Amino acid sequence: MDYKGQKLAEQIFQGIILISAVIGFVYGLIIEQFGWTVYIVLAGFAVSCVLTLPPWPMYRQNPLPWQPAIPETSGEPSQKPQETLKKKKHK
Amino acid sequence: MNTVLSRANSLFAFSLSVMAALTFGCFVTTAFKDRRVPVDIHVSKVMLKNVDDFTGPRERSDLGFLTFDLSSDILWNPIFDWNVKQLFLYLSAEYATKSNALNQVVLWDKIILRGENTKLKLRDMKSKYFFFDDGNGLRANKNITLSLSWNVVPNAGILPLVAGSGQVSLPFPESYETTKSY
Repeated sequence: MDYKGQKLAEQIFQGIILISAVIGFVYGLIIEQFGWTVYIVLAGFAVSCVLTLPPWPMYRQNPLPWQPAIPETSGEPSQKPQETLKKKKHK
Repeated sequence: MNTVLSRANSLFAFSLSVMAALTFGCFVTTAFKDRRVPVDIHVSKVMLKNVDDFTGPRERSDLGFLTFDLSSDILWNPIFDWNVKQLFLYLSAEYATKSNALNQVVLWDKIILRGENTKLKLRDMKSKYFFFDDGNGLRANKNITLSLSWNVVPNAGILPLVAGSGQVSLPFPESYETTKSY
């Protein structure tokens, strides 16, 4: 899950749970059963679990632009790539 | 938010907060409701005995027996809103004696759950608990007041104690019933 995907996932579950909370509150108030409010919020919880817990492809639309891999040079086989890796990490 | 567990954590925490807010909303929508209901209490028979009270001092105490009707014409459904799990009704007698300015004795109680038949119509009920005075204060007591009250057991919030409107005052007999048939 990339950064934009994480933001999207958070917005999605907050939206779903808030909407189900409003629906459940109004419905429970109308039929005078608080249990139904709880059930509806739990249903929203389940739906948002399915939608946001697994890293679905829609959360992977904006992958981080990694630097291209540097081809290994013959002189120092393992020294240079590690240095570039470290630099990247600090960026 | 980058792993399944951290997403699950924030999802769960958010849902819990929303649920708490909803529960508070449920309390707020019902907190200022008037749950009083007119109740009709009718006492059909009063009997007074003077018997040994083995729990107290070794003296004879007054024991009252009441037969009463309880009815409430309107349905109790308006009481049962979404923040009520059950009602605990109790019939209590209040009277004053020489030794105590206020005596309160619970004579009878009943639990009404959600979804039960909520119309109250009871005839010729006997009191569930003994109406014992701690002395001889019941005999010739002119003013013994019976009233029905109830606790509203909520899903969330306070536990209101509601007094039903409509109480009955009655005098107790001057003489004791002679006890022959034990």
